[in-house]
Amino acid sequence: MKKLAVRNLRLCTKDCLCLYVCPVGATDTENSVIDKEKCTGCGVCAQACPSGAISMVPLEYPPQQQKAETVLTASRAVCQNKAGQEGIARQLAEETEDDALYRLMSAAAKSIRLVHEDLSRESGYMLPQSKNARERLQGWIQEPPAPDFPREAAQELLDRIPCNES
Amino acid sequence: MRYICPICGYVYDEEKEGRAFSEIADGWFCPICGAPGTVFTVEEPREEAVVAAPETDSPEKQSFGEFAALCSNLARGCEKQYLEEESALYRRLAEYFTAVAPKAKGKNLEDLASCLRNDLSGFYPALRQAAESAKDRGILRVCTWGEKVTRMLLSLVERCQKEGTDFLKGTSVWVCTICGFIYIGDNPPEICPVCKVPDWKFEKVEGRRSV
Repeated sequence: MKKLAVRNLRLCTKDCLCLYVCPVGATDTENSVIDKEKCTGCGVCAQACPSGAISMVPLEYPPQQQKAETVLTASRAVCQNKAGQEGIARQLAEETEDDALYRLMSAAAKSIRLVHEDLSRESGYMLPQSKNARERLQGWIQEPPAPDFPREAAQELLDRIPCNES
Repeated sequence: MRYICPICGYVYDEEKEGRAFSEIADGWFCPICGAPGTVFTVEEPREEAVVAAPETDSPEKQSFGEFAALCSNLARGCEKQYLEEESALYRRLAEYFTAVAPKAKGKNLEDLASCLRNDLSGFYPALRQAAESAKDRGILRVCTWGEKVTRMLLSLVERCQKEGTDFLKGTSVWVCTICGFIYIGDNPPEICPVCKVPDWKFEKVEGRRSV
């Protein structure tokens, strides 16, 4: 499987071994981001890095796990509720004059969204390469869900991300 | 006897732990939210309404709020694969859906609290049950985290209802950017009590004035 080296800037301690070992000079860049065009995916930099800051990221992923219909139905109910809660928290944040309540409701909206995203991920939308994700985008392009839907963004996603399921 | 944390709802069960709560309460802190053991109270028997799998309002049509989370989730998925441009495109779709979602006008804290209670009493238990029968450990993990995060949020909302927002003044509100756990304190916890990520994964929520 083809892979590319990616540096996590938070972990990088600038020990420079990746610079010494890279046969094509892909790790030596002005912004510390490994050059995708040059990287051959050989992995020597990841092995040499003493701080574990470089990982070999695959370019292709296996199909995501299938989910049971009963799980999807129950998950859908929580998702629907989470969407409602986020709306209330956002509205309360917007309306309040109290800065403390504003902070708490902003935090609530973020927190609820994160929980909701997690549910969505485990309910058939783990991979952007999945059939589910692509069918969603296609549906929105064919039938825009509301006026001014950014169709071109959805189309660009379809063009850029290949499907990993038959 | 069972003792409950007034902040996050964590339960210390003497029978399971094998030690009386009174022996450990002093100098001990809630493993979920860090509240001191001394503020724990005896759990009052709660009438747990047995809820059958709740019906959703509109099983067919998903709301814009749901689409927003679906897209922001996929934006994160792209980000984790280092697909930055793709992540930005999904982020744009998520923002679009958030903006077109109908406003929740005329709602108050009690409406929010009641929705959160519905999750804890009915929707999560139903999801957990479905996940157990399907042996879906990914969803069981979602339930474990989601229930704790929801309970913490509910306890904060209830505290606001009861005593106002003074307890938030002069301190900070933090959100774990991985699981959504909300923490009140000057500094974030060293490790997220729910999903165990390090403190730098917490985001401080700024007020209007500080922006």
